[in-house]
Amino acid sequence: MNKSWHLDRRTLLKGGGVALALPLLQGMVRADSATLPKRMLVSYFAYGAYMPHGTAGIPVADKPHHEWSWWPCKDAGELTFNKSSAPFEPFKNDISYFRGLDHQGGWALGGHSSGDVFATGADMVGKEKTNNISIDQVAANTHGHKTRYASLVLGTEGGTGSYGRSKTLSHRGPGRPIPSLNKPQEIFNGLFNPYAGRGVEQVRAGLKRESSILDLLLEHSRSFQNKLGSHDQRKVDEYLESIRSLEKRVERTSEWTHKPLPNVDTKGLNIEVSHKDPQEYIRCMYDLVYLAFQTDSTRFASLMLESEQSSDSEMWNYATYALGYKGATHDIAHKRPADFSGQWDRWRAEQHAYFLERLKSTAEGDGTMLDRTVVLWGSAHPHASHSTKNYPIQLAGGSHLGLIHGKLHSFTGDRKVPLANLFVSMLHAVDTPVDSFADSTSDMTEIRG
Amino acid sequence: MQYSRYVVALLVVSWLGTTAPAFGAERPIPKSIQTLISNHCADCHQGENAQQGIDLTSSSTLLTAFEHSDTLDRVYSAVKRRKMPPTDAAPLSEGNRQALLSWLLQELTIRAKDAEPTQPVARRLTNFEYQNTIRDLVGFEVNLIEDLPKDPIAPYRFNNTAEFMRMGPEQFNRYLEAARKVMASAIVNPEPPEIHKTRVEWQPHGTDRGLGADEVGVWGNRRNTPATGMGVRSFPPNGEFRIRIQASAILPQGVKEIPLRLVLGYNLNENSSTLRIRPVGTISLSNTPDAPQVFEFRGRIENFPTQPGRVVNDKRQPDRLTITFQNLYDDGTLNDDQAFLSPRNIAMPRAVINWAEFEGPVFDSWPPSHHTRILFESPLRETDLNQYVAMVLERFMNRAYRRPVSEEEVQRFAKIYDIVRPQLPSFEAAMRETLAMVLVSPQFMYHAPESDDAHRDYALASRLSYFLWGTMPDESLLAAAANNQLSSAKNINNHVQRMLTDRSRTLQFLDNFSTQWLSLSKLHTVPINRELFPRFLYYVARGERAGTEVPYRPTIRDYMVDETVHFMHDLLSRNQSLLQIVDSDFAMLNQPLAYHYGIPGVQGHNLQRVKLPPDSPLGGILSQGSILIANSTGSAPHPIYRAVWLREAILGDEVPEPPADVPALSDTAGESADSALTIGQLLKQHRQKESCNACHASLDPWGLPFERYNSIGRFQPLNPREGTRVSPYSSNTHGDMAGYQRYLESINTEEVVARTILPTGVEIDGLPELKSHLIDQHSSSIAENLIRRLTGYALGRELTWRDTPAIENLVNQSKQVDYNLRDTIVLICQSELFHAQILP
Repeated sequence: MNKSWHLDRRTLLKGGGVALALPLLQGMVRADSATLPKRMLVSYFAYGAYMPHGTAGIPVADKPHHEWSWWPCKDAGELTFNKSSAPFEPFKNDISYFRGLDHQGGWALGGHSSGDVFATGADMVGKEKTNNISIDQVAANTHGHKTRYASLVLGTEGGTGSYGRSKTLSHRGPGRPIPSLNKPQEIFNGLFNPYAGRGVEQVRAGLKRESSILDLLLEHSRSFQNKLGSHDQRKVDEYLESIRSLEKRVERTSEWTHKPLPNVDTKGLNIEVSHKDPQEYIRCMYDLVYLAFQTDSTRFASLMLESEQSSDSEMWNYATYALGYKGATHDIAHKRPADFSGQWDRWRAEQHAYFLERLKSTAEGDGTMLDRTVVLWGSAHPHASHSTKNYPIQLAGGSHLGLIHGKLHSFTGDRKVPLANLFVSMLHAVDTPVDSFADSTSDMTEIRG
Repeated sequence: MQYSRYVVALLVVSWLGTTAPAFGAERPIPKSIQTLISNHCADCHQGENAQQGIDLTSSSTLLTAFEHSDTLDRVYSAVKRRKMPPTDAAPLSEGNRQALLSWLLQELTIRAKDAEPTQPVARRLTNFEYQNTIRDLVGFEVNLIEDLPKDPIAPYRFNNTAEFMRMGPEQFNRYLEAARKVMASAIVNPEPPEIHKTRVEWQPHGTDRGLGADEVGVWGNRRNTPATGMGVRSFPPNGEFRIRIQASAILPQGVKEIPLRLVLGYNLNENSSTLRIRPVGTISLSNTPDAPQVFEFRGRIENFPTQPGRVVNDKRQPDRLTITFQNLYDDGTLNDDQAFLSPRNIAMPRAVINWAEFEGPVFDSWPPSHHTRILFESPLRETDLNQYVAMVLERFMNRAYRRPVSEEEVQRFAKIYDIVRPQLPSFEAAMRETLAMVLVSPQFMYHAPESDDAHRDYALASRLSYFLWGTMPDESLLAAAANNQLSSAKNINNHVQRMLTDRSRTLQFLDNFSTQWLSLSKLHTVPINRELFPRFLYYVARGERAGTEVPYRPTIRDYMVDETVHFMHDLLSRNQSLLQIVDSDFAMLNQPLAYHYGIPGVQGHNLQRVKLPPDSPLGGILSQGSILIANSTGSAPHPIYRAVWLREAILGDEVPEPPADVPALSDTAGESADSALTIGQLLKQHRQKESCNACHASLDPWGLPFERYNSIGRFQPLNPREGTRVSPYSSNTHGDMAGYQRYLESINTEEVVARTILPTGVEIDGLPELKSHLIDQHSSSIAENLIRRLTGYALGRELTWRDTPAIENLVNQSKQVDYNLRDTIVLICQSELFHAQILP
């Protein structure tokens, strides 16, 4: 049986080809830590997690800590680890857990839809019906121009989905979801082989031409739009906006043709992975984020690992492929079988820890990549999958960006604060000065170094 | 609302005690209606805690409630469907009910006349429409959908709804790439291309387990046979190809024909689940090896996935293509364990392929017709190139925009041509780029109201065409529009009738429509429990992947989608009553499906109408595998899923999502949730917990009558006794179908309970009783639902209260023609709704 495609991918993504790109990060280009990149990844898993002794996301006082609870330990304070969180033990001083956080805007969204606002905190039931800008895009608006790609938006199912059934975490603003990319080969080519074999001069000439054509097209489209009624005009705005932003992108791409592409060997690579190999697939997506960060192709990424509304995708069967669970993955959230719930969380933890490990084992400046990358990992539900309060939230990395780790923080009862407070701190860590985000009331002093 | 309940109560009293307040200045609510509402509705719909938030009491709030026409519409629908007043309240006399309904409808009608529409109707083409339109525009098959961001999916809704259809820079960029890809194929270079040919022959000798080296068995064959494929190393980058094969079939007694499928793409012998293929075609073989015949397949090379070449010594090998032959015959014994061993493969029908030939590109003349259709022959090309370019643009744009274009519009693109021509190496390249821009302009990509009154009929032609074909209007529709001969009822009728005779396009429409209407797509992802259903999926019998599902081969699940689509097509083409979706005396089956359902005597791979006996568990779509599997867990039926489906897809109710603060049922079972709650126990919990009961009392009963249909869509009236240990399936003793049947009989001993009491108090036992009940009591709701779905799909928007009077009208008209499906579609196309919002 021929498995060489498999080797190709693993060697390339794990070391081989990437070794070629390392000089970019070490030595030549940047020496002092002031110019080293500050990065952020927002990642999301669906259906909440197993919290047997405290299904509302807050442990019940008179029960012992469950060895398979998603929470590594019962009480706030120094982190200790249980079976479910064991993969994170090596990162004890690089991670924090947060209990009692959520987005008020998601409360009334319904148990199958609150993932829509995980990265935005928008009040979709009330005044922000078409969602709003996500945290990664806020950062990208400030620093995106420094890299070839302002941000990288990934997901396992691809596209934007629809309201209440989002397939992406990232939004430019109200009514402007960014479709997530889910095909590894396509993502890889986009990052490292954007000219598809054409020479730089040819690409530049093409871009120049494209820019002038798009200008004419925009004019032509305006005359179309002007003849429509007001509702339809607004609908066609999306189109005009798209051309405008493509024009900007063309300019930007053109500028970037003056800088060399990261030296990653793209020849003959096949990195397509089927959803039927969940671990391979998820790790491949994590690898791509890692590669994009490592080559400084972008500094802000979102990765929708799962969505609640996946019954028409193979994601519906992830737990079956990964663990042999006899049922839809969504059933684990509802039935919470003791034997699979913990294992499923543990499986997810292993994948995420794999990513953290890759960052941590890559030296950068006087630390590691993890020290300069803020990684959010969480869901929009606790154990009770229809509940939209008290999310499971883990934050990792960013020790050199002013974050301190090693604890579980509890914001329950009268200590409750919005999740958006953490977002504010994350944005500050990546040098994005905001006073507030969504319903935030302040930043989160607990993790400020 | 700032009134306390006490104050509200006072207001009610005072309202009833005084003269009727005016409803609007000129239209008071009739006194009789006021009395009706206060007698029958006010008990529950009162004050701050009014049920559903609909407060129908005090003078001021009566106004408030009905100020929102939405509420008026909801009240109308609830009374009409006899949901209100509920069964435990005092019933409304039929006279009063009619009086209330007619007042509500009258009020809705008056308001709808004045109301401005608030929804956008401008929307981009869906991916489905986009691909079809490009196909018809350039005149050959294109495969573009895979490169576009996925259109959103929402259960029971249509993705052509304007609000759903988003556009962003990423999408736009993909459209740009797709447009360039299409134009690269459509316009060729002047010099004829190099022709690539590959030919392979297979000899009958060298048998393996009795199978000759030129044969394709149902379980495949060993290496170097047509079953493992034929490599094509040299092929053009695009253009039409032809594959010719000489083939025949070895048919056992009683088998008349076998399906042979050709797929093109990656080499399927590699052990990976990410190999990509596309079918080229399926033929039926009935000729024997002593009378071999030559068959021809055609396709376009750029529509098929090529396998990237490997890197050897740092050099990339050329890309590859592989043609693989698949014998799709299935008489229900494919999953007999150990069946792959000799002599079973030789006992089954086999295809014989003597030789196969790949040739490409093929063309009748050079340049090919799809090229000359755009860059037509003309002396102008030599004498006045600018004039020629303008004419090319005008012809192309007239079709791309589905209406005559203005001189000004043509000139805009001529300008684009002027910019790109000096920068590109050839005239052809410049035209490709210019025309690609036409394909990303909003006039091509969007459905929008037509701003020029003279183009009204063109807009109507598009509306008809995108509704019934999912593509641009054909010559005949455009000609009718040009002559202003489209809008009359008679002409609409003629065109609709004509359009619906186009079998392949109508099937595409019904596939796209039904998949969304019935929310079928989740069918494919329900995890079938292999231990319970060891014979349903096709499993790999040996090797490293033994026991996993056979990839790259159509499954019974795929045929089930076809079953539903062809069923709808049969109703449509024979103009049968749409109520037959509930029950019918026929089913659309092929041999594998018939075997699955236990219907004897069906041969062949193509779906065919099969007459059902009166007591058959099949008939209608309620008992089709596509529905039953999609709404099950893969291990067991799921009465709640099935109930939601029935109420949404068939009865047209909107079933709310479980509210956010109500925990999922099984969560409430706490730590012992996993200790086997049967569905019966779960439902019982629903009834006991008040927060669940409010919704589930009106939901669960609709799903229980389906219980005798199992998780793989088969009728299964017996189950294992609950709580007993069932002896497991063993391939040694139960490997073949007879043994499997004996096994099922030995474990399934208990009658399945499918009895329920509907919210209306009617007792129902099993699906046949439910079907009769639906036909007797709910036929107008069922008809209204399908009419609403079809109309919403046709208009590309969600229907609102404004549409209720028009829909009422349509339902009544449809009833006059016995709800016959084709007539009903004609009525929709003739309706005022269909002709509205053509202009901005």
